[in-house]
Amino acid sequence: MNIWRLMLTELKAIISDKAIAVTLFGGVLFYSILYPLPYLNQVPTEQQLIVVDLDHSSLSRQLIRHADASAKIQVIGQVGSITEAKRFIETRKAHGLLVIPEGFRRDLMLGKGVTLSYGGDASYFLIYSAVAEGLVSAGMDAGKQVQLIGMLAQGTNPKQAEQNLNSMHLNSVPAFNPSLGYTPYVVPGLFLLILHQTLLIGTGILGAGQWRQKGYWQQVSPVQLLCGRILAFMLIYLFFTSFYVGYCYHWYHVSIQASLGTVALWLLPFLLATAAAGVAMSTLFTRRDLPTQVLLLISMPILFVSGFVWPIALIPEPLVLGSQFIPAVPAIMGMLELNQMGASWASVMPKWLQLWGLFAVFFGLAILGIKRRVRLLAEANQL
Amino acid sequence: MTERTPHANAADKIKGGTQPSSISFMALLIALVRRELRALWHDPWQLALISYIPLLGILCLWWLFSAGLPRQLPVAIVDQDHSQLSRMLTRQLKANPVTDPQSFTDLSSAISAMQQAKVYAIVVFPYDMKKDLLTGHKPTIDVRYNSQFLLVGKLLSSQIQLSLGDGLLHVAGLKQLANGTPKSQVAVNLSPVKSQTTALFNRNNNYIGFLVPPVLVALWQLLSMLVMANSLNRELHLAPTNQNNGIVNTLTEHFWPKVLAKVVLFTPILMLQGSFILAWLYLYLALPMAGSLALLLVAQLVMLLAVWSLVLFIFVVMRDSARVISFCTALFAPAFAFMGITFPTHDMPQLAQWWRLIMPSSHYIESHVSVVSYGAAWPSVAGQLSSYWGFICLLPFIYLLSRQLLPSTVSANNVVAVVDSGVALPAKGQ
Repeated sequence: MNIWRLMLTELKAIISDKAIAVTLFGGVLFYSILYPLPYLNQVPTEQQLIVVDLDHSSLSRQLIRHADASAKIQVIGQVGSITEAKRFIETRKAHGLLVIPEGFRRDLMLGKGVTLSYGGDASYFLIYSAVAEGLVSAGMDAGKQVQLIGMLAQGTNPKQAEQNLNSMHLNSVPAFNPSLGYTPYVVPGLFLLILHQTLLIGTGILGAGQWRQKGYWQQVSPVQLLCGRILAFMLIYLFFTSFYVGYCYHWYHVSIQASLGTVALWLLPFLLATAAAGVAMSTLFTRRDLPTQVLLLISMPILFVSGFVWPIALIPEPLVLGSQFIPAVPAIMGMLELNQMGASWASVMPKWLQLWGLFAVFFGLAILGIKRRVRLLAEANQL
Repeated sequence: MTERTPHANAADKIKGGTQPSSISFMALLIALVRRELRALWHDPWQLALISYIPLLGILCLWWLFSAGLPRQLPVAIVDQDHSQLSRMLTRQLKANPVTDPQSFTDLSSAISAMQQAKVYAIVVFPYDMKKDLLTGHKPTIDVRYNSQFLLVGKLLSSQIQLSLGDGLLHVAGLKQLANGTPKSQVAVNLSPVKSQTTALFNRNNNYIGFLVPPVLVALWQLLSMLVMANSLNRELHLAPTNQNNGIVNTLTEHFWPKVLAKVVLFTPILMLQGSFILAWLYLYLALPMAGSLALLLVAQLVMLLAVWSLVLFIFVVMRDSARVISFCTALFAPAFAFMGITFPTHDMPQLAQWWRLIMPSSHYIESHVSVVSYGAAWPSVAGQLSSYWGFICLLPFIYLLSRQLLPSTVSANNVVAVVDSGVALPAKGQ
């Protein structure tokens, strides 16, 4: 059997096996829609805020209007005391509270300082940061206005007053994900992980189903079998990867900085290493339902250890070192650097070589594993 | 449908022949639980799922986030001014526990460091910054933060602004003093409106309290799903004629008592794992906890029963081990994203909010947050538990479907077993 015939046989085995076909074709399509679904609105806006206005002055009302005008906040009402406001938060009617102290306007006009209190529900970080950002900017705005009025009253000329208030300009801009959107943050890493996991499951089920039965896999040498299998999966994943990295990235507004050629060059060793790792792993199983379960359980740890959710600098060293053997970990980080953050090829080169190294290691392990399976089956038949 | 009757008759005969009809339900249940225990003992994977995998998984995921508070995140400083002011601002950043300023001589090397995720933000002090400030021009400090890593980027953005803003306030204060403003007035002039921002329920913005509980609950849900699915799938592969202690292995025979036996056996085991999670987080690590642990255990129990009804439903509909596993996986794998902890529920699209209701974990996490953060008591938790009503509605469906569909699987299995009993069973099963 030459390598092309073998590849065709492999493809036939993959497509005729319902479990694999469903996992690969169904899973890849289904997850491309389901996983980003909660994040489609990108940015949390209009978080419900409850106000405790103890001042009831023109200025406090203006402050409330300013807070409500912020895109991040929606004022849902006013209550008389903090305890009542807390009840609103506990019943999830509101996610934040603003307390305007008694004598707010009078103190400001008299030139005394006042303190505004903001609270946000920090059980949900994104909600908390939205509430805090919205309120801090509204509060700062109110403060500046009061200052400006005070200075004008003291006879400072308007231009000078403006100057004194903003003596320095802080120009803080998000880089790489300018909209601070959630899908551009989650999708690039997550989709590579989905490709990685489905490829491992596919090769895992295919192998686990074969090792105990006679078949074409015995009639060719282990190297040939491995090459044929990797080729067949690469052919399928050529389409899946193009769909994910091409169309889905575009659809979910992921910022893209690298060229098609460099991305393809980057993904080549990733897919090869993953396919080889999948075959190597499959030789450990003879039950077809196990690979899916094992990979399901380790997908969340891989996602978090890959370093885009939680910074690598804070992950314990042993976990980081151990995770370097998983092809998805260097691949996700390198892809983010290359494609989302616009790093040069030279700077991601070490990770690229690491992926080739992983390919070589898993290729060797897969050959050893297949040889072992051939021997075990021969022994079982002799008995 | 026509071939169903002979098989049913055969099953009746087997039942009549081997089983004394006087056997009480309790005895049957105990025998079935024994049978489950035996099966568990002979299945290394199931044993792993209830013993070292959860232990390892829970501890590893906690260890990953064990830093808790993001500290010492590298920030590139490009100081083109080299003045006393720029050095003062750098010291301000150094004094902030979140930022760890690292000096870069030129902008391009700072940019390439940021592109390689070696630093998470860049602060540029422009040339002649101090001179511009003193001569009444308005210099601009440029800050760029990496929003590709959203959590880190947002945190750094606010912390850098806080540190620099405080430093600049100090400078403005000196200016006012030089102008002859009385010292007592300076502070008020600078910031007439002070703000006090309180992170309610999680005072120091600890990531362990925020992220680890939902992650572990998602893991626990996966484990309970797998344990039940595997146990149910096992029934599909048993040789139908094989019997021990008067219990028939045919799928349709005592189907509901068998399911009950599985629930009776696995509920305490999985609850042990669930309470280990709670004990680890709220007793050993002593994370703040406003309510009572007992309430959370009740919520966990209800979630577990919901997970199992869902798995049972999928099993009855699919009736094929590989398909049951892959369908359950597809359903439960994204549970974490739908919990609404990282991204708020009310900002999800409507479709996502509906899908979310299918996951037992998203019902549980609401009770979890309200007990842990708000100290909710019995009445409000009971109110939340009522949101599981959909899963109760599932039960009659499961019953009807099991009456309709399981016999056809049994007969199909029998045919396979008859045709090639030698090859099919070992290949399909263990």
